[in-house]
Amino acid sequence: MSGLTLRLRAPATERINLDGITPAKLAALPSHEIGRINVGIDKGGLALGDAFEISGSPGETLTIEGSGPNVDFVGGGLDSGSIHVVGDVGSYVGRKMSGGKLEIRGNAGNFLASGSTGGFIHVSGNAGDNVGGFIPGDRFGMLGGTAVIGGNIGARSGEKMRRGTIIVKGKTGEGAGTRMIGGTIWAEGGIGPLPGFMMRRGTLIGPSVESLLPTFVDCGKHDLVIVRVMSRYLKGALGDLAPKPMPLFVRKIGGDMANIGRGEILLPAG
Amino acid sequence: MSMTVNGVEIDDTFAEAFGMSGTGIIITADSLKWARIAATVATGFGTSVIGCGAECGIDKELSPEETPDGRPGVRILIFGFSPDALVPQIRNRIGQCVLTSPGSACYAGLQASQSLGLGKAPRYFGDGYQTAKKLGQSRYWRVPVMDGEFVIEEETGVTTEAVGGGNMLILGCDRAGLLETAEAAVDAIAKVDDVITPFPGGIVRSGSKVGAKYSGMFASTNHAFCPTLRGTVKSELGPDTLAVLEIVIDGLTSKAVADAMRAGLKAVTDTGAKRGVTRITAGNYGGKLGQHHYHLKELI
Repeated sequence: MSGLTLRLRAPATERINLDGITPAKLAALPSHEIGRINVGIDKGGLALGDAFEISGSPGETLTIEGSGPNVDFVGGGLDSGSIHVVGDVGSYVGRKMSGGKLEIRGNAGNFLASGSTGGFIHVSGNAGDNVGGFIPGDRFGMLGGTAVIGGNIGARSGEKMRRGTIIVKGKTGEGAGTRMIGGTIWAEGGIGPLPGFMMRRGTLIGPSVESLLPTFVDCGKHDLVIVRVMSRYLKGALGDLAPKPMPLFVRKIGGDMANIGRGEILLPAG
Repeated sequence: MSMTVNGVEIDDTFAEAFGMSGTGIIITADSLKWARIAATVATGFGTSVIGCGAECGIDKELSPEETPDGRPGVRILIFGFSPDALVPQIRNRIGQCVLTSPGSACYAGLQASQSLGLGKAPRYFGDGYQTAKKLGQSRYWRVPVMDGEFVIEEETGVTTEAVGGGNMLILGCDRAGLLETAEAAVDAIAKVDDVITPFPGGIVRSGSKVGAKYSGMFASTNHAFCPTLRGTVKSELGPDTLAVLEIVIDGLTSKAVADAMRAGLKAVTDTGAKRGVTRITAGNYGGKLGQHHYHLKELI
């Protein structure tokens, strides 16, 4: 499997924008043009080759080493192949990703997987606010694909999320699933306070929730077949990264009743 | 020229089968008993497209590890003349027989390049309270019902490479022994994947010919194989034949039908002679009905 490696030459003094820097795009460019791609954000611009030491040959994989929190939009627009990052990354990682695989061995910033429609993202550390959320100008947040975050995630994850799955090994921050339209957020460490504000549909799953909005209602204890379907699907798709199956009976909290109330928070039934 | 295997005469002829469209559906429930009940009812009145709209049957039982929800299940197959013809059959059979069955859920049972709506219609039973969950490429509908939720996948695959009408005719001089042998053949065929034997218990006693003397009848009794008419019509039966039973096989592929016929023929020839089976032949229309010909000699 051929691939290109980008090694950050020095800690970035300005934000670096890697939007659209994908294995397929680099493979389609003449080698002398790869280093000239502008990845800076100010007027002067910053060439990829100035920011990174480039080695290897373009192919199905792209490896980014020595990355830091100033490197934004990693995997933005990724549709095939895989990107491996060693180090932290900044915001908008996996933005509008439609396929392929993005592996971050570090922490990620805000708006991870915003507007993504497919593919798989794995962050070994924590992620910031608005994971799978929407950014102004977008109609929806995450629209598909799967993101697995090994640590915790920040506030308002899944805001206006419509489809897709976010697995959190740790906890979610405040307001997970705010204005959620669909999709699933499964937090193995627990759901933070006040989730699902104005959510229409969608599912939040966890062992516990810190506090509930008054517009959420207890729907009782249930044996939901769909939870089994989700568990089996995720085990097949993610292997060891899949969340542990929920117990047979779950307590369903329905809401937000201030909206159409088709959303749900699923907790183990006591 | 016929041949004899273990005392059973095998005619030098072929079973003539025709192209069909077929789909598979997995039905699960809290127990295998209830999955079977839902599947049996959903495939009921599904013997022949001549009068039933579709030919249906249970293909196999599935362990919890083999189903999308980890519960026991069965896979049913439904065959018709075209994908479009299967749409109302699926809608009615699933809507009336699986949706209504306690604890049931329903999933795609065939992966194919073409697909058909499975939960597209039943979801409306939810009256607006239904919700969807998309996992990977599959969308599952959750329809609130009185024992929880009826989960049904939105689509299932359909193939136009299916084959209907694989068959064998078993002739004998002992009606009870003949039936026992046919049952053994059906059991052997049931072990083959991707096929069903849609008639009652897999066995047909009313083999038919195309057309009839009465207007409006598309098919009528195959008088040449009716023992009681021997002597009064041009009969295909020898003097020792007391009864004839037919096994009809539908399969998702031609190979599956051939494998099923091979399994059925072996079961008949293994023990049939002891039970009064004298001869095996097959139904065909001189090659004019369908493009699939299964020569018995090649399958023995």
